[in-house]
Amino acid sequence: MKIVIFGGTPGSGKTSIIKFVIQELKDLKIHYVKFDVLSTEDDLLIKEKFNISTERRISGDICPDHYAALEIPKIIDEHKDKDVILIETAGLCLRCSPYVEEGLAINVLNILSGKPSGYGPLLTHADLVVVTKGDLISQAEREIFRAEVLKVNKKTLMIEANGLTGEGAIDIASAIKESLETKEKLTLRHSMPSAICGYCYGNKIVDPTESLKRFQSGKKIKTRVPNLNCGKCGFKSCNEFIRAVLDKRVNEIECPYITPEDAEN
Amino acid sequence: MKIKKITIFAGYDKKRNKELFEEIDICAGQKVGIVGPTGSGKSQLLYDIEKLAQGETKTKRKILINDEAPLKEFKFDPTKKIIGYLTQHMNFMTDATVYNFLKTHIEIRGKYQTEEDTEKLIDKIIDDANTVTGEKIEKDVNLLILSGGQSRALMVADLAHVSESPIILIDEIENAGIRIKKALEMLIKKGKIIFLVTHDPVLALDTDKRFVMKKGAINKIIHTSAEEKEIANHLSWINNHVLDIREDVRNGKQIEKLKLKCTLVE
Repeated sequence: MKIVIFGGTPGSGKTSIIKFVIQELKDLKIHYVKFDVLSTEDDLLIKEKFNISTERRISGDICPDHYAALEIPKIIDEHKDKDVILIETAGLCLRCSPYVEEGLAINVLNILSGKPSGYGPLLTHADLVVVTKGDLISQAEREIFRAEVLKVNKKTLMIEANGLTGEGAIDIASAIKESLETKEKLTLRHSMPSAICGYCYGNKIVDPTESLKRFQSGKKIKTRVPNLNCGKCGFKSCNEFIRAVLDKRVNEIECPYITPEDAEN
Repeated sequence: MKIKKITIFAGYDKKRNKELFEEIDICAGQKVGIVGPTGSGKSQLLYDIEKLAQGETKTKRKILINDEAPLKEFKFDPTKKIIGYLTQHMNFMTDATVYNFLKTHIEIRGKYQTEEDTEKLIDKIIDDANTVTGEKIEKDVNLLILSGGQSRALMVADLAHVSESPIILIDEIENAGIRIKKALEMLIKKGKIIFLVTHDPVLALDTDKRFVMKKGAINKIIHTSAEEKEIANHLSWINNHVLDIREDVRNGKQIEKLKLKCTLVE
């Protein structure tokens, strides 16, 4: 099985390019996953168009990269029969990279979206940079942009692609076919941020004391939940459950791992 | 690398019928027009040539350079790229002065030798661009405020002097605001091969031959006749005359009469 992760900012043309790539990979068994922050319909559109298995994962209150890292192993487990798992992820804050060492990392980059040096690991840790909307600028500007990308990611292969005509899809598809099979456990290409504070537990009052209070109460519940993100409480993750408890929207004993005695302490 | 000729091997049209020729040679110094209605396959043909296709594209065409399949690095490494592309857009997006933009491009193309040579080259590019457009381009002006005609003229001069690609693809260049024939002459110097998608008769009738596209295939090849070339000359003269009047209007002059006779050809 191959794991291919497409990352890129909203509007870069990821989904359009992926549609053309799926067409080029029609001999393979594909599962397509779309990660998004708020909502998406792309999974349904792709299912309808190509009749392949698809799903969506909405990260909601969790950082989308954290969420993807939590979910990808489950997705792989459920789709062991597939040749390729195509994962599309948007909504990154550019601090993290959504990529894993054991899969192919593809960054879809809109040539009009500013200087490449402003992008972080999303660009610098990609195996393949797919440059879109190049038809809107002159060749000289394209060459300059290319040189700037290579300055921050020396090893990458760059492909110019067009989401309207499908230009470049052949080259992306052959890079996927040539990529290695994924066998061992996955490793992130770039670490996640250290984001542990009261705001992470849902504090909205911009004040250090309030944030500290919220952090301390959150931490207590954190030691009682199983941190498995099993979903039995009705929330996608333990952290979201903790926020709901602190907001008094739900009782702590809704978590099947917390007994009433635990809760009282 | 010296390009002597490029060969197009026939592919298939949209209904999977083979194109009516086996192979077409285009030699250095030749201009080829590509004509046909929307959806007839003009852009796909340019795409096949730009990709140096080897049967992997929709049409399955093959492109050989000097009778050989081109190296893969020609496709991906821009400094080795042998194909220059002038697209339909008329504006720059980069926030930089004309001078800085040209200097960066010269450096990236590996053409920077001495400070003095680079200064000379930049002046030459701007001077040449100014022969093609009516409004003078200044060195220290921002690219973003150039007019459509000025941008187009600068793109052509940059393509001629910095990219120096031996094969040039031009997609529906508009003649608004530039001396189009002069621009092409700048590009075709030094034995280049030019492919030109256009329905502008000034350009289409000034080629060596033109491909007529139909349903995705090269359906017919017309060799430009001597009469057609003469008509092209006439039309070019009219175009330049319109451009002169346009400049007079811009400069606040009163237009007194229209010179209807083409003195260049007669």
